[in-house]
Amino acid sequence: MRLSSFLDVNAFRRHRLAYACAAGIVLLALVETGNALLAPLRAPTDRDWRAAAAAVRAGYRPGDLIVAAPDWADPLLRLHLGDLIPIPVAGRLDAARFGRIWEISQRGARSPEAQGSPVSQTSRQGALTLRRYERPAAQVSFDFVAEWSRASVSRVAAGGQVNLCYRVSDRFECPDLPAQSLKPELLEIDTSPHFALATALAGHATTVVEFDRVPLGRELAVGAGLHNVWLRKAGKGTVSLRVLVQGRELGRMEAGSMTGWTVRKFDTSGLAGQSQNVRFEITVDDPNSRTLGFAAEARS
Amino acid sequence: MDEVGQKTRRRWARPWMVPLLLALATSGWMLAVEGRQGLARDESQYFRAGERYWGWFEALGDAVRAGKPGQAFSRNVVDSFWGDNHEHPPLMKTLYGLSWRLFHRCDCTGPKRGLHPIAVHKHRTLPLFARESTAFRFPAILLAGLGVALVYWFARRWIGPWAAAGAAVLSVAQPHYFFHAQISCFDVPIAVMAVLVALAYWKSLRAPRWGILCGVFYGLALATKHNAWLIPCFLLVHYLWMRRRDFLRLRPPRIPLAFVSMATLGPIVLFVLWPWLWHAPVPRVREWMQRHAQHEHYNFEYLGRNWNLPPAPEQTGRWLLRATFPFVSTAFTVPVTTLALAAAGTLVFARRRRKKASDDQLPIINCEPPEPGARASWARPGADVDLAPGIFLAVQILGPLGTLALPATPIFGGVKHFLAAMPFVAILAGVGLAWVTRLAAELVTAERLRQVLPAALAVLLCLPAVAETQRSHPDGTGHYNLLAGGFIGGASLGMNRQFWGYSVLPLLPWMKAHRPPSNRIYWHDVLHDAVLMYVRDGRLPLGIGDVGVGEPLVAQADLGIVILEKHFAVYDYLHWESYQTTQPAQVYAHEGVPFVVAYQRKAPPPRQEPLPP
Repeated sequence: MRLSSFLDVNAFRRHRLAYACAAGIVLLALVETGNALLAPLRAPTDRDWRAAAAAVRAGYRPGDLIVAAPDWADPLLRLHLGDLIPIPVAGRLDAARFGRIWEISQRGARSPEAQGSPVSQTSRQGALTLRRYERPAAQVSFDFVAEWSRASVSRVAAGGQVNLCYRVSDRFECPDLPAQSLKPELLEIDTSPHFALATALAGHATTVVEFDRVPLGRELAVGAGLHNVWLRKAGKGTVSLRVLVQGRELGRMEAGSMTGWTVRKFDTSGLAGQSQNVRFEITVDDPNSRTLGFAAEARS
Repeated sequence: MDEVGQKTRRRWARPWMVPLLLALATSGWMLAVEGRQGLARDESQYFRAGERYWGWFEALGDAVRAGKPGQAFSRNVVDSFWGDNHEHPPLMKTLYGLSWRLFHRCDCTGPKRGLHPIAVHKHRTLPLFARESTAFRFPAILLAGLGVALVYWFARRWIGPWAAAGAAVLSVAQPHYFFHAQISCFDVPIAVMAVLVALAYWKSLRAPRWGILCGVFYGLALATKHNAWLIPCFLLVHYLWMRRRDFLRLRPPRIPLAFVSMATLGPIVLFVLWPWLWHAPVPRVREWMQRHAQHEHYNFEYLGRNWNLPPAPEQTGRWLLRATFPFVSTAFTVPVTTLALAAAGTLVFARRRRKKASDDQLPIINCEPPEPGARASWARPGADVDLAPGIFLAVQILGPLGTLALPATPIFGGVKHFLAAMPFVAILAGVGLAWVTRLAAELVTAERLRQVLPAALAVLLCLPAVAETQRSHPDGTGHYNLLAGGFIGGASLGMNRQFWGYSVLPLLPWMKAHRPPSNRIYWHDVLHDAVLMYVRDGRLPLGIGDVGVGEPLVAQADLGIVILEKHFAVYDYLHWESYQTTQPAQVYAHEGVPFVVAYQRKAPPPRQEPLPP
C-alpha cells in the first residue's frame, strides 16, 4: 500500500513545521506515558538498600563515614545503617576527618562529602551504586566540642565587668543567661544536624569561651550557624563570632537567619605543634530568638 | 436504525450527557482511590468544623421542635457552633458536615461517641461509605466532578467535543490537582468556583441573565475561600482589554451587570451562608480579611532552600528566585504533554488575532464573533466586540500565578495556592489538542481513519496525564513531571515534597503493631483531629496515645514519627537525641523517596537533669 493512498502528502509539505510540532507532541505523549509506567520500576527497592547495607557492613571499619547521595535519601540510609552512624558523626563539623567514606548513590549522584576523593571500590546493588572513597584524613589534635568541659566561660559586660559562668553536669550556666547557657548538643542549623556548642545569647555583653593549652595543628576549622528553624524565622539579630589564638585575632564569622552553617578554616601552620590559648568571643546586636551553635577542630 | 436506536442516539447527543459522564467518571475515580490518601492536617480541622456546623442545624431543629426557633439564632448559640475555624468561610465545611450526617455508617453511640466534637445521638443515615472521612470528602469529590464538567462546557465554546473532553480530563489529570480534589479542603473547590464565576461572566457578556447568576456564583465562591477576592480583578483586566477601544474613543466602558451583580449579590450570598457574620458583620468581615491580608510566612522548600522569610531588599537574586516559584512549579508539576498542548493552544490563540475569524485553518470552531448590528449595553457588554478569548484565558492563568510571584504576597508555597489557573491551562491544552486533531485530519485522506482521529488523539494525548496522576497517588504533592525527573527528580531538585502530614497513612498498620506499652506516641504534624478521625475510621485503635504537638513533647514519647519536610529536620534531631540513635525503625517511601520516618525508643528514657543549685 502506498503512503499517498491514505495520506495527503501535499498537506504535509505545506505545513512541515506544524506537522513536526504535532508529531513531537504525540511522541512526547508516548514517552511520558512509558516513563510513567516504567519509572516506578527503576526506583531503588528495599532489597537494593539491604544489599548495599550488607556490602557496607562487610567492609566497614570504625571511623568510616557513610553517606547517601542525594542527601534526601539519608532517612533510608539510616534505616539500614543507622547503627553505624552515631550522633556526633551525623552532626559532624565537616567530613575532613574521615579517611574512608562509603557513599550509597542513585542516578549518578555524588555526595559533596566525597568530592575530589579517589574511589577505591565500586559496586552495583540494583538501582543503587556503592562507592568507597579513600583519602588522607585530617588529624584532629583538639575537638573543641568533645573537650567542652575544659573550657572556661564568662560574660564580659560593655563596661568591662566579667561574670564567670559555672559548669553543672552537662553544661555551663551564666548568671545573666537562660539555664542552658552553653552546652554540647545536637542542633538543627540550616536544616542539617550539627553537634556543636549551643550558646544562648542575651543582653549587651560578650560571651567568652576560652580553652587553654590547645595543641594546634596546621589549621583551625570553625563552623557556626544559628539553631532552630523557628528561632531563625522569629529573630533578626546577627551573631558575631571572633576567633583569637593567644590574644591575636584569626578572624571573624557572622551568623544570621539566612547564613546557614558556615565553615572557615584559619591557617595556624605558624603555630603547629604548640599549645596555645584559643578564645571565642560571641556578640549579638539583637539577642531575641538567637542560639548560636559553633564547633571547632584543631587539625594537622 | 430502529426507533429505539434513534432515541438512544439522540439522548447521547444531548449537550449535558458528555459532561455528566465526565463528572461521574471523575468522582468515581476519586471515590475509588481516596481511601489510600491520608487525612491532611487542615482537612481534619474542617471535619471537626463541618460536624460542628451540622450541630447548629440540629440545634435549630431542636429549637423549632421546642417552639423557640429564635434560640438557635442567638449570638451565643451561633458562635458556639460557627465560631470554630472562622478564619475560613463555611460553604464547603457545611457541605462536608451535611454529607457526613447523611452518608456515614453510624456507630456513633458506641465507644467512639466521645470522639465527636458535638453531642451525638443514634441517628438514621444512608450508609454509602464505610469510612466517616469518605462521607466528609464526598462533596469535594462531587465538586471536582462538576469542575470537569464545567471545563468541558467552557471548552466547547471554542472547540469540538473530543478536544473539549480532552481538556476536561486534563484539568483533573494533574497529580497535584488530583491530590487536592479528593480531600475536604478548599483549594479545588475554589478552583471550580473560579471556573463557574468565569463561565457566568463570559456568558454574561452577551446574555443578561448570566450577569445575575454571576453574582450568585461569586457569593458561593466568597463562601468557599478568600481566593475569591481576586476573581473580579482578573475578570476586570479582561473586560477592560475587551473594551479597550472605548478608551481610544474617550468613552470609558459602562460597568457591566456581572460586576454590579458580584458587588451586590456576592456579599449578600456570603452573609446569608455564614452565620458567624450575622451578629457582627462589619467587624467580623474585617477580621476575616485582616487574617489573610496579614498572613504569616509559611515554611516551604523550593530549589533546595527552605523559604520562610521574605528576602531583604538588597537580595535581588533571592527576590527574583522567589518570583519564579509559581512558574517553575507549574512547569515541573503539570504533565509535560499537557504543557506542550497548552503551548500549542497559546500559539493558536496568538495566530487567531492575526487571522480573520473565517479562516478555515483555525481549529477554533466557534469564535463568537460580534453580533451584526448589536449595540453594547451594561446588560450585554460584549455584544458588539470580539470577546478576546485568548486574553481571557491568559488572565485566568497568569492572574493566580502572578499573584503568588509578587514580592508583597506572603510565602505560602504549594501548587495548591494557584490551582485556580489549572482548569484554564487545561482548556488551553484542549485548544492545542484540537489543533493537533485538525492537522491530522488534513493529513489523513482515508475517511474511516479521519472519523476515529479525534477520539484516538484525545485518548492518546490524555494518556500520559492520567498515567502520571495514577502513578502519583497517594503522594501527589511529591510528584514531579518528566522534565523534573519524577519523585526522585523533584527531591533532587529540592522541590517541596509534602505538607499537612497526610502521608502517615501507610505507616498506620506498623504504628498499631508497634504501639508502645506506655501508649506515648508523638504524631508530629498529624493533628489530634486527624488521629481522632483515623480512630473513627477504624484505622487506629480506640485509645491510641497522642502526647501532643511541640518540640519538648518528643522526649515524652516512646514512639514518634517525623513528616519529612525540610523545615521539620529539627524534629528528626530531637528524636535522635531523645532516643539516642539516628536509626529510624520504619520509613515510608514512594518510588524510593522518603516521606515519613518512625522512631522507636529502645533504651530507657534519658535521666532527668538534677535541679540547679
